Amino acid sequence: MQKTDIPQSDLLQKVLQLEKENSKLRKQLEQVEKAKIEYLQNVSHQLVAPLNAMKWHIENLTEQRISIERARKVLRSIYSQATIAVHLAKNFRLMSNLEGDQSLVSLKEPLQEINLQRLLVNLADDFQPLAWEQSIKIVMVDEKFDRSPSVLAIKPLISQVFSNIIENAVKYSDGDSIISLTGKYMQSSNLFAVSIANRGIPLTKEHQEKLFTRGFRSEEAKSKYPPGTGFGLYIAKKIAEIHKGAIQAEAIDGQVVFTVTLPAKVS
Amino acid sequence: MNTKTILLIDDEQNFLEPLTDALQYEGYKVLKARTGQEALQILEKEKVDLVTIDIMLDPGKNLKEQTNSHATGLFLCKEIRRKYPTVSAFCLSVISEIETIQKIESLGIKFIRKGETSLRKVLELLRSELTGIAFSTDYLKKKE
Repeated sequence: MQKTDIPQSDLLQKVLQLEKENSKLRKQLEQVEKAKIEYLQNVSHQLVAPLNAMKWHIENLTEQRISIERARKVLRSIYSQATIAVHLAKNFRLMSNLEGDQSLVSLKEPLQEINLQRLLVNLADDFQPLAWEQSIKIVMVDEKFDRSPSVLAIKPLISQVFSNIIENAVKYSDGDSIISLTGKYMQSSNLFAVSIANRGIPLTKEHQEKLFTRGFRSEEAKSKYPPGTGFGLYIAKKIAEIHKGAIQAEAIDGQVVFTVTLPAKVS
Repeated sequence: MNTKTILLIDDEQNFLEPLTDALQYEGYKVLKARTGQEALQILEKEKVDLVTIDIMLDPGKNLKEQTNSHATGLFLCKEIRRKYPTVSAFCLSVISEIETIQKIESLGIKFIRKGETSLRKVLELLRSELTGIAFSTDYLKKKE
C-alpha cells in the first residue's frame, strides 16, 4: 500500500470543509423540498376548492333548497367551476411537463391551422359566467378582430396561452369592468397579434418582465386573490416561444394589455 | 321564525353562493364581507348574531399594516372575540395547518373545514349554536 504523507491537520481541515459543503447542500435540498410541498399543497387546494363548491351547489339542488329559476343559475355556476377546474388541471399538467422538459417535446402534436377569432370566442364563453360574478364583461368587437389569416399552432397549447391570460384578467380586474379582446394582422412582419386588455391591478415597470418568471406573483395580486401559483404567464410565455411567437405586457391608458404575437399562416 | 343575521366573511364566490342559498332557505338574513376591513365595518354598523370567518382573505387597505392575506382571518378571530364577545363565531376555511386551527379553537371559535363538510352539517352546527336545537329544518320544511 502506498503511504500518504498528508499531515493530519490538513486532513482534518478537508473533512471540516466537506462537512460544511454537505450541510450547505442539505439545506438547499430542504428548501427545494419545502417549495415542492408548498406547490403541491397549493395545486391540490386550487383543484379541490371548485370541486367542493360544486358539491355544495349540488347538495342545494338535490335538497331542493332553491327555486327552479335559481337552479338554472346554479347549474351555470357549476359549469363555470368545472371549466376552471379543467383549466387548472391542464396548467398543472403543462407545468409538470415544463419542469422536466423546457421544450415540451412530449406534448408536441402536429401543427393545426387555427382561426384565433373562433378560438377566443369559445374561450370568452367559457370564462364569461365566472366574470359575471363580478359584473365583468368579456367583449370581442368583430370590427376590431381581423378574421384572417389563421395561425399554425398546437391547439391545446395555444388555447392554454389565451385561457391563462383571460383567467388572470377575470381574477384581477376591477368589478364592473370590461375585458376586451382584439386581433390584428400585421402584413409587413406576417404576424398575428392578439391583445387582451383589462382594468385592475396597475402594471408597474418593475413587474413588466417579472410577470412572466416562474412562480412570480405581485403583492397586489396575492392580496386580491390569495390562492395561485404564479405559473400561468410563465407557461403562456414558454408556449408562445415554442411557436416562435412572443408575449408582452404593457400599461396603456390605465389598462393592462397583454399581447401575444404568432407567425401567421402564409397561404 | 329565524330572523337572525349571519355575516359571512369570505372572498371565495364559489363557496359564498351555495352557502348563502342554504342559509337564506333556512330563513336567515345573510350579510357578506369580502375583506377584513369590510367585515369590521359591517360589525360596527349592523347587529350580527353569528359570523363565519375564512382565514386566507384580503385584509383591505386599512388593515394592511396589521395583517396579511394569509392571516387576515386569524386576526379577525382575535378582534371579534375581543370586541364582540357575545357574537357567535365559526371559522370556515380550507386551511390545514394544525397550529393555526389550534390557535382559533383556543379562542373558543369552532373550526369547520369548508367544502369538505356537507352543507347540511354546516347548517346544523350554525343552528345549534344559535338556538340550541341540533338539527336542520330541511325535513320540517319539506313536510309543510
